[in-house]
Amino acid sequence: MLEKIHHLREVLSAELSAAKSRGDLEAFRVKYLGRKGILAQLFDELRGIATEDKPAAGKALNEFRSFVQGEFEKQQAHLAGQETPASSVADISLPGRVRPAGTKHPITQTMEELKRIFARMGFTIAAGPDIEDDYHNFTALNFPPQHPARDMQDTFFVSKNILLRTHTSPVQIRVMENQPPPVRVIMPGRVYRNEAVSARSHVIFHQLEGLYVDKNVTMSELKGTLVAFAKQYYGSSVQYKFRPTFFPFTEPSADMYISCFVCGQKGCPICKYNGWLEILGSGMVHPHVLKNVGYDPEVSTGYAFGMGIERMALLRYGIDDIRLYFENDLRFLKQF
Amino acid sequence: MRISHNWLKRSIDIGLKPQQLAEGLSMLGLEVERFEELGKAYDGFLVGEVLECQRHPNADRLTVCRVNTGGEVLQIVCGAPNVAAGQKVAVGLVGATVPKNQHDPNGEPFVLQQIKIRGVESSGMICSEYELDLGDDKDGIKVLGTSAHVGTPLAKYLRRNDIVYDIEITANRGDWMSHKGVAREISALTGKSLKPFSPKPKESKDPAAQQASVHVRDSAKCPRYVARILKNVTIQPSPLWMQDLLTAVGVRPINNIVDITNFVMLETGQPLHAFDYDLLEGHEIVVKCANEQERFVTLDGKERILDSNTLMICDGKRSVAIAGVMGGGNSEITAMTKNVLLESACFDPANIRRTSKNLGLSTEASQRFERSVDIDMTLVAANRAAELFQELAGAEVLKGAIDIYPKKKKPRSIALRVARTNAVLGTNLSVAKIVSFLKRLGIRTRALKAGTIAATIPGYRNDLVEEIDLIEEVARMFGYNNIETQTDARVNLVSVPGEEDIEDAMREILVGAGFNEIVTNSLQNKAHALLAGEPPVEVLNPVSVDMQMLRPSLIPGALDVLQDNFNHGQPSVRMFEFGKVYRRTGTASPDTLEGYREERHLLLILSGAYSPQHYSSASRSYDFFDMKGEVESFLSKFFLDKYRLIYYDNGKPLSVDNIHVEIQGTYAGFLGTLKKQIAATFEIDREVYLCELNVDMLQNRWERKARFSQLPRFPSVTRDLAFVVGQNVPQVDIERAIRESGGSMLRNLSLFDVYVGEQAGAGKKSLAYALELQPTDHTLTDQEANAVITRIVDFVKSRCGAALRS
Repeated sequence: MLEKIHHLREVLSAELSAAKSRGDLEAFRVKYLGRKGILAQLFDELRGIATEDKPAAGKALNEFRSFVQGEFEKQQAHLAGQETPASSVADISLPGRVRPAGTKHPITQTMEELKRIFARMGFTIAAGPDIEDDYHNFTALNFPPQHPARDMQDTFFVSKNILLRTHTSPVQIRVMENQPPPVRVIMPGRVYRNEAVSARSHVIFHQLEGLYVDKNVTMSELKGTLVAFAKQYYGSSVQYKFRPTFFPFTEPSADMYISCFVCGQKGCPICKYNGWLEILGSGMVHPHVLKNVGYDPEVSTGYAFGMGIERMALLRYGIDDIRLYFENDLRFLKQF
Repeated sequence: MRISHNWLKRSIDIGLKPQQLAEGLSMLGLEVERFEELGKAYDGFLVGEVLECQRHPNADRLTVCRVNTGGEVLQIVCGAPNVAAGQKVAVGLVGATVPKNQHDPNGEPFVLQQIKIRGVESSGMICSEYELDLGDDKDGIKVLGTSAHVGTPLAKYLRRNDIVYDIEITANRGDWMSHKGVAREISALTGKSLKPFSPKPKESKDPAAQQASVHVRDSAKCPRYVARILKNVTIQPSPLWMQDLLTAVGVRPINNIVDITNFVMLETGQPLHAFDYDLLEGHEIVVKCANEQERFVTLDGKERILDSNTLMICDGKRSVAIAGVMGGGNSEITAMTKNVLLESACFDPANIRRTSKNLGLSTEASQRFERSVDIDMTLVAANRAAELFQELAGAEVLKGAIDIYPKKKKPRSIALRVARTNAVLGTNLSVAKIVSFLKRLGIRTRALKAGTIAATIPGYRNDLVEEIDLIEEVARMFGYNNIETQTDARVNLVSVPGEEDIEDAMREILVGAGFNEIVTNSLQNKAHALLAGEPPVEVLNPVSVDMQMLRPSLIPGALDVLQDNFNHGQPSVRMFEFGKVYRRTGTASPDTLEGYREERHLLLILSGAYSPQHYSSASRSYDFFDMKGEVESFLSKFFLDKYRLIYYDNGKPLSVDNIHVEIQGTYAGFLGTLKKQIAATFEIDREVYLCELNVDMLQNRWERKARFSQLPRFPSVTRDLAFVVGQNVPQVDIERAIRESGGSMLRNLSLFDVYVGEQAGAGKKSLAYALELQPTDHTLTDQEANAVITRIVDFVKSRCGAALRS
């Protein structure tokens, strides 16, 4: 009996570890622990054993039985840990229930990113009306009456003196009229131009304008601020240049260009094959503008800059038609 | 504006390649948008001679030609009826680009290829005037002059050897509107000096002043008027050199007289006008304003109605030109003209601009005058023209110019402080450096006192008026890109960052709730603008009737978007827009800002399928309660319990089932269902649920700071109650009655069943609520709960005439 048990111990371990499935394990259980299994047979045999040997054999058999039981349970637990649980659905490749995500308009997304960058640079936000008077839109910004500069921006009028603002610059005037220097603000908003609607231009678009007036503000700082902005928005490897231009409300005035990130300055339709993209206009606030709001240009100097949001987004996303922004086709909106 | 390289070379030795010149000028602020080598279009075109012509074996209308192109004799199949042996012709070789294709409706260019035409090889093309972009003639090939040399590049034969720069003139730099002006900028760029220019016509003994008189009645509007008399002119074509220069910049040569006036203007920037001397009554010029409502026929044959601010050039009897804008037909140069009175004048820029705007008439002359011309150039340009009249028209130039210049303009002097210059630019430029920059620009300087330079401004720089203008000149010459890039580190972080915008916060919530943001045009047609029932703001000069009004509501614009998206097959639209709406206000004058009001609004729209199609559930459409739920959860996020929905419909123009939203007792907007007939006008066949809110108003009432309240420490008890009421009793009445009577013990209330049917009784409905009761300071006993429930039941019964459903 003892020999038999000894032998079984050896075989059994191998058999158990070979049991890789529930079926195998069940077969093992039936073979050893079943009603007519090996252990039951051994207990039967125990009855026929000599009385003096009985206690030792019985003890050994009992021990063996708990051993088998223990090993069996161990293997059972082991297998359960490995096995994938039983499926509760018929086919897990069926489509899930989608809750469609909302989207922000690409103009909003662009505006938000620009606002974040300038907020980090200490600019606060100001706003003004879309319906403006001639004074704030033109005269206070040093557009003399009867000057060709007024043709730079084709204007919608709602009465002789009242118009739809052609740029966000009148907000500069409103901000400075209401507070003494220093001012450091950005002014986002919608503007209007009396132009034919095409892939490249629209009667409405959005601008973001910036203004900083304080003691000893220099053109060098203007460049520094705009370069810092461009690096944050377009990446630190962006190349840039500034070119003289004319705006009535700034002097000196500068257009800022960045290296074309579409083609890497190799030349493409976006940069008109010259490797540079014009991204914004800027300049030192004209002394007349400062005087018009009651600032002393000898004490305060400042810079201003402005950019078109549609153009920024157009360059960023590679959109080829400005009209898409205002058509609001969900197939377009959901791409952003 | 087009500027010719060859023309510039008459004023300065350029010494730069076109690309360098374009880049250099652009970096000075004179933007060269592109440049074009005129001969380039004719690369691969030669002068050829047709040696023989034979009928095409397979086509009656085609001719097989043998053409000598100098080196080689080519076989070319030609379809033109006029081709003949012995002709000199323009031949395009294989590989050349023909400028215009006469078989293409748009005349797009095409590249010549070696081809077989009906079985016969053809190596090139004999071109028509149209194909060469030299004119409109398509009917036959262009036959060149017999003296044309075979094998000569066509560009050379056509004298197309110029390079043309397309420049963009900024509004402040009228002095760039001439070749001399651009040459001055090149001089500033390269440091090379300009070639001398001081025209001196040979005069006859006969003094001009005895042959004509000039009277300027308004010297403010006409500070200088120069007239020269040119007798016995021979009208003929201009010489080729002049024709070539004019053609290069896009001006069509007419005859020597007209061409000279155009040429001198494009050369010097001074517009000129030539009158037929013999047509001037009394040989007299009077410069004065028009009579109010005066009618005048300009050179273009149009009658213009003038006002008394319009400066006119008159003779002894009548008006002969609108000063600085356009001449009249009554005194113009004709083929019969013998004698010419040439005008070179200086007019007040603002007055010319006003006239040009009022008449809607912008000319080369008016564009220059309104940007102001160089008063010192007036006489020089007249002399230059006189010189050319003599040279090219054999004119006798009468002695002396009649020069009416009562208030001689002194050169402007501007003080420039070196320290100020460096302070504005953030530079550290020396006096010497600044002086050298100004000198390159033709600005003379002298030291005024320590650190201050007196700068004398040349007559052509009318844009330089004050110190800041000179500072800009210094910056341009130094180079913007040489100014150091300093990061400004003076940000005041203590400053108040301004009020947070509720729009930004709301947008986050809406996007999180699956709404798509739209941005629509705020200009719309009249029909749309009138829908909202508010007085809209009209644009006086719209681009089209589609964009004539500012929107008084966000709804119509969004409905267009909705319809578009349904048309594109979108099953479901869930969108929002933040935008301004505009309206006229009451009695305030339309010429003041008080006459207008603008508000920021938010519009929510739900329409179409509630959720994307899914196999597991039946689809349903959005309904009213989807919108109501969205609005309630949205409002409670921002206004906690400070908002109220008011259930009455006071007849909104666009919607029914309206619920008004009040925040702290003030109307803030509404939600409702789009009227069927409105939906129909937008061709929308689905139900549309809307909510429009006034964002400016919401901003002021935003409950930004949430307050923490203790979490309940004692268990709650839930009881269900069902009330039976008349079907026309609004649910909200029962709900309010329960809340009112439940008091602080009632923690939550939810309606879980609405039943209409037999068991409720005819004309009745049953509303079943779950009430969660929970005191804050102890565990509720059954007794207490029963007492509260009894109180509620009694109250609802008496307030609403409800019965408890057993």
